[in-house]
Amino acid sequence: MNLQDIENGTARALAELAAAEDLKALEALRVRYIGRNGLLPKLMQGLKDVPAADKPAMGQALNRFKTAVTDAVAGRKAALEAAARDARTGSLDISLPGRWARQGRLHPIQQLIDRTTDIFRRMGFTVANGPDIETEYYNFDALNTPPDHVSRDLADTFYLPGGLLLRTQTSAVQARYMETRQPPVRIVCPGRCYRRDTTDATHSANFHQIEGLYVDEAVSLADLKSDLDHFARELMGPGVRTRFRTHFFPFTEPSVEVDFSCHMCGGGGCRVCKQSGWIEIMGAGMVDPNVFAQVGYDPEAVTGYAFGMGIERLAMILFGIDDIRRLYENDGRYLAQF
Amino acid sequence: MKIPLSWLREYVDFDDTPEGLADKLTFAGVEVEGLATVGGGVEGVVVGEVTAIEKHPNADKLVLCRVNHGAAGEPWVVCGAPNAVVGGKYPFAPLGVVLPCGITIEKRKVRGTASEGMLCAEDELGISDDHTGLMELDARWAPGTALAEVMGPPETVLDVEITPDRPDCLCLVGLAREVAALYGTRLKMPANDAAESATPVETATSVKVEDLVDCPRYTARILRDVKVGPSPDWMKRRLEAAGIRAINNIVDITNYVMLETGQPLHAFDQKLLEGGRIVVRHPAPGEKIVTLDGVDRELTPEMLVIADAAKPMAVAGVMGGEFSGIGDDTTEVLLESASFRPVAIRDTSKKLELMSESAYRFIRGVDPELAEMASRRAAGLMVELASAKLLAGVVDVRGEPRKPWTVTCRPRRLATLLGMAPTAEEIAKIFESLELKVLSCTPELIEVEVPTFRGDLTREADLIEEYARLHLKNLPPVRSKATVVPDADDKPAQAQQRLREVLAGLGLQQIMNYSFLDRDLLDLFNREGAAGRVELANPLTADHTVLRDSLLPQMVETIGLNVSRQVAQAALFETGRIFRLDGEGHPIECDQVAVGLLGPVGRTGMDRFGPVGEEDMFLWIKGLWEQLATALKLRDASLRPADRPWSQPGRGMEVAVAGVAVGWLGLLRPDIAKEWRIHEPLGLFEAAVQPLVKDVGAMQELTPPPSYPSIRRDAALIVDGSVRHEQVLEIARRAAPPELEKIELFDIYQGKNLGDGRKSLAYAFTYRSPTGTLTDEAANEFQGRINAALKEQLPAEIREG
Ligand SMILES: [Zn+2]
Repeated sequence: MNLQDIENGTARALAELAAAEDLKALEALRVRYIGRNGLLPKLMQGLKDVPAADKPAMGQALNRFKTAVTDAVAGRKAALEAAARDARTGSLDISLPGRWARQGRLHPIQQLIDRTTDIFRRMGFTVANGPDIETEYYNFDALNTPPDHVSRDLADTFYLPGGLLLRTQTSAVQARYMETRQPPVRIVCPGRCYRRDTTDATHSANFHQIEGLYVDEAVSLADLKSDLDHFARELMGPGVRTRFRTHFFPFTEPSVEVDFSCHMCGGGGCRVCKQSGWIEIMGAGMVDPNVFAQVGYDPEAVTGYAFGMGIERLAMILFGIDDIRRLYENDGRYLAQF
Repeated sequence: MKIPLSWLREYVDFDDTPEGLADKLTFAGVEVEGLATVGGGVEGVVVGEVTAIEKHPNADKLVLCRVNHGAAGEPWVVCGAPNAVVGGKYPFAPLGVVLPCGITIEKRKVRGTASEGMLCAEDELGISDDHTGLMELDARWAPGTALAEVMGPPETVLDVEITPDRPDCLCLVGLAREVAALYGTRLKMPANDAAESATPVETATSVKVEDLVDCPRYTARILRDVKVGPSPDWMKRRLEAAGIRAINNIVDITNYVMLETGQPLHAFDQKLLEGGRIVVRHPAPGEKIVTLDGVDRELTPEMLVIADAAKPMAVAGVMGGEFSGIGDDTTEVLLESASFRPVAIRDTSKKLELMSESAYRFIRGVDPELAEMASRRAAGLMVELASAKLLAGVVDVRGEPRKPWTVTCRPRRLATLLGMAPTAEEIAKIFESLELKVLSCTPELIEVEVPTFRGDLTREADLIEEYARLHLKNLPPVRSKATVVPDADDKPAQAQQRLREVLAGLGLQQIMNYSFLDRDLLDLFNREGAAGRVELANPLTADHTVLRDSLLPQMVETIGLNVSRQVAQAALFETGRIFRLDGEGHPIECDQVAVGLLGPVGRTGMDRFGPVGEEDMFLWIKGLWEQLATALKLRDASLRPADRPWSQPGRGMEVAVAGVAVGWLGLLRPDIAKEWRIHEPLGLFEAAVQPLVKDVGAMQELTPPPSYPSIRRDAALIVDGSVRHEQVLEIARRAAPPELEKIELFDIYQGKNLGDGRKSLAYAFTYRSPTGTLTDEAANEFQGRINAALKEQLPAEIREG
């Protein structure tokens, strides 16, 4: 007996097993090779006559033989049994459509609210909440919006009897939240807002915003920039940058509009960014001292930043939605794609 | 606002491309929304004079014009414009010319008659979108003169958006001031001297202001011997590039100076003013005026009018009267330059639904100190361009003059707020570039005097913003101060998120509907709720008048829309707010969740194609609620039969948590479903969110997996058809030993062989002991006890399995 004999024997045994035509023939082969009185026990016995130096190699070769034959017997047995079943009941048509319970999904607006709030949560923000029905005070006065400001016009705001209104911006949560606690404040507030806009492809009288507010000692415009830089990368990709453009909001000073570099073209210009390389995403700024004064914070002791963005707009950009009305139409076939 | 660049360059030098300028302005807060070139592209187009007109033989609306275009031969062209006259001069495109609109001029036949060239309207030349007639050219241009020479060089026009805090930028001078600060150059103010005659203005007119609050300043100048006529081409071109139509030299000058300085001006025909004088007053009750646009307008006493001795001649700051304006025969002009209280003008403009260039500026605020200078500038132009004689001096009625004020800025505060640390001198230099006068400057404090035209700068924060807006590109990168706020509570938001994730996990698609809708739709589902609904005071459309007090109507409407689009299966949920009035009539709001099911949503594979019965649908919506309650770890939820106005009688249940009703589930009434042509059972569920999510994240007691095996016994109960599952459970539980672990219904059968009105309910009973392995005998004994109770109490005939 030598190593070569064992290798040859293994090959021959496997060939015979693969050719076994029924379970009976297979069992006979099994008995012949690895049965109690079969070939393997005999060879194992013969091992004692092998020179000591060759024993380990021979032993390993015999183990390989045993494993290979055992596996081949099991494999061939499963194949023969399956064939026998198919002969009785017909074969399984594995080209049939798959079956599983239905697939549920969140609405694309919800998906974006969740995605953005999750990013801000990782940055230490907490989700805060406020009512849709607001007072003039929280929606305007507390946000340093003078009574004669254009945004108070009947044309822009839905009013309710009794001087109440539907909030036009999630910023209304700012004063409500600050009134109830002392700094530091680090919140985001996703929510529904309302403006008396005629609905068209890019406007909806009912829409969603997410508002952010951070108030602490010595918060600066540079902090706002770096936090939004991080948000932009997390939301749209590692290469995305932000830029600030001066703007005007009553409740922040300085106020800026924030553009993200286009995630589609990397800033080179494409259809999504209207060839500019930049996409306007949100408004932001440093909390106006008058807002702090309204809620009893000392504007000399704390500073803060605030930002707000429209979720529908973000959805249109990130999902490539052409018409905002599709988001509220709720056609099952459309929603199932998100 | 449209800014022609060549005009802007008259007041400021800057060395940059239009794109570069647009970029700088945008970052500094003057957003450039568009950059367009007007004019140019008219190579080959020349001045053409129509020398003869004949009728077109085959078309009533067309004529044939013979055109002298300064070259040999006078071609005939077919023309459909209504304003072609013999002797008129119009742009003429000879054969072979390509127009800016893309048309190549070729010899062709129009309705059977040859046309050799084309007389052009403005839109065809890319000048405007006007196509009402041929563009009319001044008579002095010789036929054959290149149109490019007539029109002047092409003009680049910036379209800028001015934020409400910067009314000083609503003019060329204001923008030039910004540009000067951005490029480190100087503003060049327009000339504002005017030669005056010896006659004092007071001899010709007088002004009386009855309300100095609404009209803090009114100035008037008088110009005589005025020759009304067309303005020079350069002025017309600039006005038209800025979007204002040229009318005549006097009106054009008032518009030109308004665009230049931001001060709205108005020219009255002095001879039409009764008494030759001005009274600024509130209208008397019932007084009316016909404004320049020809509309008869009713005035109310809180408005302000510019009147003569007898009647209103203009709505102050908004629009002149039809009979006060400058005509071709006007020879004497009263030039008004005034200021009005912004809110007063806004209210008037809103009430009359009338907006104008001047109202727009007054609403945003015009510096009263500007009035006299702008009037002088306009008078000077009238002297120059309309050969007018200006009377000496000005009538100037006003309240207290506005004086410059002082604001301070601490460089350290600026550094804190911006995260940049410029020196005091660097900050002061920026202030100076914006024409703020630096009174003193130390490392601790900078004191500046603010000119009256910058009414937006009253506080330190305003000054800091002025520095910031010119340095936004220099913000240094910093490490995030991301921090943990100890007492912040994120759990409520997480619980709501969990609810939505569970519903999506159960296979439901989330939808979102508007918060407002048509009241009829709500009535359809719950007429009694009508009194408690919250209505919009100023709805925009008739189908959005009231806030929803239930999510179900729109849920069914959504399913109806899908059905109408052949999407016959729906498993939807919505989370959203509902609104209603509390007992005292105050609106309250509540987060709500709703589910709607239609079609074989509880089945998979080919089972989906079987019909869906009421029992299927009811058990699916109920099963969905049970799954939801389990996933939300609700331990005190219960159901009891209860109908809602929208539910089919006997197929509705009330959902309670801790014994308090929080919602309902059931099948929609078929007569409501029919409104959307839905004829299959539709399952609905709606509940308040708060009570449902109260146990999310709560601790619970865990049961370790059992140590001993269980034993199952089956029993088929043949009972009367009216016997209910819950009766079986109740009797079995009462008779059962503690070892009964669960009872499961696994088959319901109704067949002739059972006898009329009878059914078979097959149950599996599972027994297990926590202390040892049960014997068969013990299980038999347990089952025997239960069977005996069922036999006697239901009653039932039992076949054991
Ligand atoms: Zn792009």
